[in-house]
Amino acid sequence: MVDVVIAGYVRSPFHPAYRGAFARVRPDDLAANTIRGLIDRTGVKAEDIEDIVMGCAFPEGEQGFNIARLVGLLADLPLSVGGITMNRFCGSSMSSIHYAAGQIAMGAGDVFIAAGVEGMSRVPMTGFNPMPNPALAAKSAAYLGMGDTAENVAKKYSLTRAEQEAFAVKSQNKAGEAMKNGSFTDEIVPYTLPDGTVIDTDGTPRPGTTTEDLAGLKLAFDAEGTVTAGTSSPLTDGAVAVLVCSADYAAKNGLKVMAKIKSMAISGCAPEIMGIGPVEASKKALKRAGLTMDDIDIVELNEAFASQSLACIADLGIPEEKINLDGGAIAIGHPLGATGARIVGKAASLLQREGKTYSLSTQCIGGGQGIATILEKA
Amino acid sequence: MANNTIKKVCVIGAGTMGAGIAAQVANAGIPVLLLDILPKEGDNRNAVAEGAVAKMLKTEPAPFMGKRAAKLVETGNIEDHLGKVAECDWVVEAIIERLDIKQDLYAKLEAVRTPGTAVSSNTSTIPLAQLTDGRSDAFKQDFLITHFFNPPRYMRLIEIVAGPHSNAETVARVSDFVDRKLGKSVVDAEDSPGFIANRVGTFWIQASVNAAFDLGVTVEEADEIGGRPMGVPKTGIFGLIDLIGIDLMPHLMKSLTSTLPADDPYVKIARSEKLIEDMIETGYTGRKGLGGFYRINREGGGKVMESKDLKSGEYRAAARPGLVRGPAAKGDLGALIEAPGKVGAYAWAVLGPTLAYAASIVPEATKSVVGVDDAMKLGYNWKMGPFEMIDRIGAAKLREKLEASDIPVPAILQQVGDQTFYRIENGKRQYFGTDGAYHDVERAEGVLLLEDIKLASEPLMKNSSAALWDVGDGVVALEFTGKMNALDGEVMKLIQKAIPLVKSDYKALVVYNEGSNFSAGANLGLALFALNIAAWSEVEKSIRGGQDAYKALKYAPFPVVSAPFGLALGGGCEILLNSDAIQAHAETYTGLVETGVGIIPGWGGCGEMLSRWADNPRQPKGPMPAVSKVFEIVSTATVAKSAAEAKDVGFLRHTDQITMNRDRLLHDAKQRALAMVDGYEAPEKPEYRLPGPTGKAALDLAVDSFHKQGKATDHDVTVAGELAYVLSGGDTDMIDTVTEAQMLKLEVEAFMRLARNPKSQARVEHMLETGKPLRN
Repeated sequence: MVDVVIAGYVRSPFHPAYRGAFARVRPDDLAANTIRGLIDRTGVKAEDIEDIVMGCAFPEGEQGFNIARLVGLLADLPLSVGGITMNRFCGSSMSSIHYAAGQIAMGAGDVFIAAGVEGMSRVPMTGFNPMPNPALAAKSAAYLGMGDTAENVAKKYSLTRAEQEAFAVKSQNKAGEAMKNGSFTDEIVPYTLPDGTVIDTDGTPRPGTTTEDLAGLKLAFDAEGTVTAGTSSPLTDGAVAVLVCSADYAAKNGLKVMAKIKSMAISGCAPEIMGIGPVEASKKALKRAGLTMDDIDIVELNEAFASQSLACIADLGIPEEKINLDGGAIAIGHPLGATGARIVGKAASLLQREGKTYSLSTQCIGGGQGIATILEKA
Repeated sequence: MANNTIKKVCVIGAGTMGAGIAAQVANAGIPVLLLDILPKEGDNRNAVAEGAVAKMLKTEPAPFMGKRAAKLVETGNIEDHLGKVAECDWVVEAIIERLDIKQDLYAKLEAVRTPGTAVSSNTSTIPLAQLTDGRSDAFKQDFLITHFFNPPRYMRLIEIVAGPHSNAETVARVSDFVDRKLGKSVVDAEDSPGFIANRVGTFWIQASVNAAFDLGVTVEEADEIGGRPMGVPKTGIFGLIDLIGIDLMPHLMKSLTSTLPADDPYVKIARSEKLIEDMIETGYTGRKGLGGFYRINREGGGKVMESKDLKSGEYRAAARPGLVRGPAAKGDLGALIEAPGKVGAYAWAVLGPTLAYAASIVPEATKSVVGVDDAMKLGYNWKMGPFEMIDRIGAAKLREKLEASDIPVPAILQQVGDQTFYRIENGKRQYFGTDGAYHDVERAEGVLLLEDIKLASEPLMKNSSAALWDVGDGVVALEFTGKMNALDGEVMKLIQKAIPLVKSDYKALVVYNEGSNFSAGANLGLALFALNIAAWSEVEKSIRGGQDAYKALKYAPFPVVSAPFGLALGGGCEILLNSDAIQAHAETYTGLVETGVGIIPGWGGCGEMLSRWADNPRQPKGPMPAVSKVFEIVSTATVAKSAAEAKDVGFLRHTDQITMNRDRLLHDAKQRALAMVDGYEAPEKPEYRLPGPTGKAALDLAVDSFHKQGKATDHDVTVAGELAYVLSGGDTDMIDTVTEAQMLKLEVEAFMRLARNPKSQARVEHMLETGKPLRN
């Protein structure tokens, strides 16, 4: 079996949709700039790249026309580099990594850029033309709003609003701390706006948020519920790129390997509680890796909502000190198609920084799925 | 002066008036520089003006007509930015009412302004001669007083005072600008204390308060007698004082008494009451304070309207006296002042001296009786001006009563003898001049009023709910005449009857009237009656009748221009949507509000809105965006709060035009229609590509979310479901075409299902009883 490794991880700054720095930036431009940054920083030979695998949850409008190919052209990559757009909603760009890994394992290429993008200012969540199948809408929760699923999970796990808010505050504080320490500097590729302004930090985190601040917010989805905007990940504009290649290629070309992909998994679940998707997906991945939760040192759990995060933490028995060391999506943001690659890339860099062995990156997916990736430090 | 040369304005002073004037300039689409002094603290030197703009963005009623307008206001301070005045064609000073400070500012302005730039003061108290004292002749030539009323966006009156040195061309240029661009009605005033409206208004307030205290009339009684029966807004006098602020009264009194001669009747009646002084002292300054002559007592979780006992000073539950009855309640002022008991006594104690005072200021404050009447109607929202009231009472009778009350009879009231101040002569309204002769009431060029047309002609046709008028140049006007201009079968019949006439004898039709509002929509009372007796076929007939009439207008072989103002709701909005063009007054509040009464638009509004949004080039393409947008607008009963906002919401097309001055609306609409006559072709019938059930599924999901969030009630979900069905094209498929006729059929079917729903009927009934939507 060919060993597949992560040999680079970068992202754009993340900014809140509509009011952030990227509200007027095309997602394809943002992604191209990020990919360019990945190539520059890793030193990978562009002509060796087989394919760009671009995760995107709503690939239409400015994210349409097979954005993966267009981004390659925008980034002035050699014409030989291919492009495929990957959609698994929030799991899109983690699937980009999985796809690349599978291709490499099959001998269908040595180097891939697994990327993801979502300009949520530019293409609304649900897209411009949501057209659900009426029959399916009637018989299943396939189209249920994400906030409603978060409420369902909160109910099922009897999670109070205060518990969710405490979790959100921790995420904000960790992100704030990481920003202060410059922990994001290495991963961020600055973006220059048309007016010359250089954007090199995140606009999403709200460090210093207190539980009192959050307690004052209105309920966002259910008048009788517990979930607010403060305990949900914000709509975000952002792009991510991860370099995935065979261990041999990395060694021959002097690339700095961060981690080896140990195992990967997908698992479906009930759409109305899609937030618990990570539970079964992580169990599958652990089993495939021959590991248990005790073996995992670093967990990057996507914080779509505080409620589903807490539910997954409880079901998987994840110790708090292992989770989202630099904060999660509630603080950093959740550009749907870009998040999966971020939490895999982030896990790889944390393994290096913390000197740990195994990491688990996992996330829930609208419509009822979970996805997980286990890495081993190189 | 159609091409006014005022392209940029500077307003100095960002208080309520200055900021409000700047907002109105911006509402007209004209860039405006708003300057104020440096803040007392902080680093931001523009903080005062910036703060004023920020505050206005949160103020209700909104000073700005839309977000774009706010962007036209550039803020600054007079230390750093006075030089920018050189870029402006008109400078409005609206700073503190202190002569020395104003004079100091004018000296600075003189140094920076471009010669010929008009400079005006918004002073309400300081004589023009004093303001320009010490300035050059050139400055004096360009100087005038432009006295706006608060709030500048909503009050139509502006008093303009020219001095002996003022250049006539400058005054004309500013007058033309405030008329056409700012939409204000100019009344020329003389340089006399308080000018016109505030002078009469302050007297009236004082006389009303004095009389209440002197005659032992309660607050509610005073407001009942002194409100509607006199054609005064229903707040009456004490309600009005609560609204403007009780603490303002001593200021008004001080400023007028200090500038008027000692023998002026106002100076003689000016007095303050211990009770009112105490109220101000303790923070009971009216609506903005702890309470006023009225307050709402929320103790114990209740909501009780209370009023002040003028004798004891205590609050007690407000009464509804019900004193004014018979002709006196219906506008017969003669009967009102002769009424027995306290009604007649109080009415006379207010009206006698007030009308005499108003008559006494002509020509000192303004050259003609028309100026006084216009000032009070536009500045104080009186239905009739003082001289129109005198005509109602009869000049001779008023004189007799004044003499009996030892009130001096003013010269013009003597002079008019047994005649009236207004008369109709050869189809023209004339007024009695100080020269003892009658003169035509002149309208400015570009002002055309149905009111005037009616004096000189008979309607081409009319019935109980509508009339058709020849407004000249081959254009007819369709007027709604029912209560609240409500729309019913009679209106639709008249439309159908009018079309062949216009086709054969005229060129174009405008939909226009001069009621308080364009139209509040369909006649709900009639609808409820039909629903209560389950006259389903009648209900359905009325929906189809409305559709037929509106579509007949739309496809008539001549241009149809609607000219809305005020409220244009429901069916009143749908007639706009079915017109070739809309010439809207800036203060138009329009929306499809049917869901509030449990139904959906049934006279073609759904399809017309879909067309507008589908044609919007800024919308994403595909079968859903237009459907989703229109669904959002209609399901939430969105009402645009100005004509500018109506463009954003899509009730108006971007080619539709806005008239700022209400009096110019008919003329502008007529011109718009005439411009379309040559080569006119009726519009092609629209065809829709709609998503069908899949679109409805998407909209239903959104509604379910709102329901969960507590933002939509159970019946909202039902009503929204029917709306979603219509807007998504019923059972159509995306690859099929939906015709306009099919859309209309869908509207009728959904409308009828809702009409039969008892919860919708409950909404209609509740709206009729309370004027508010039922949230069931």
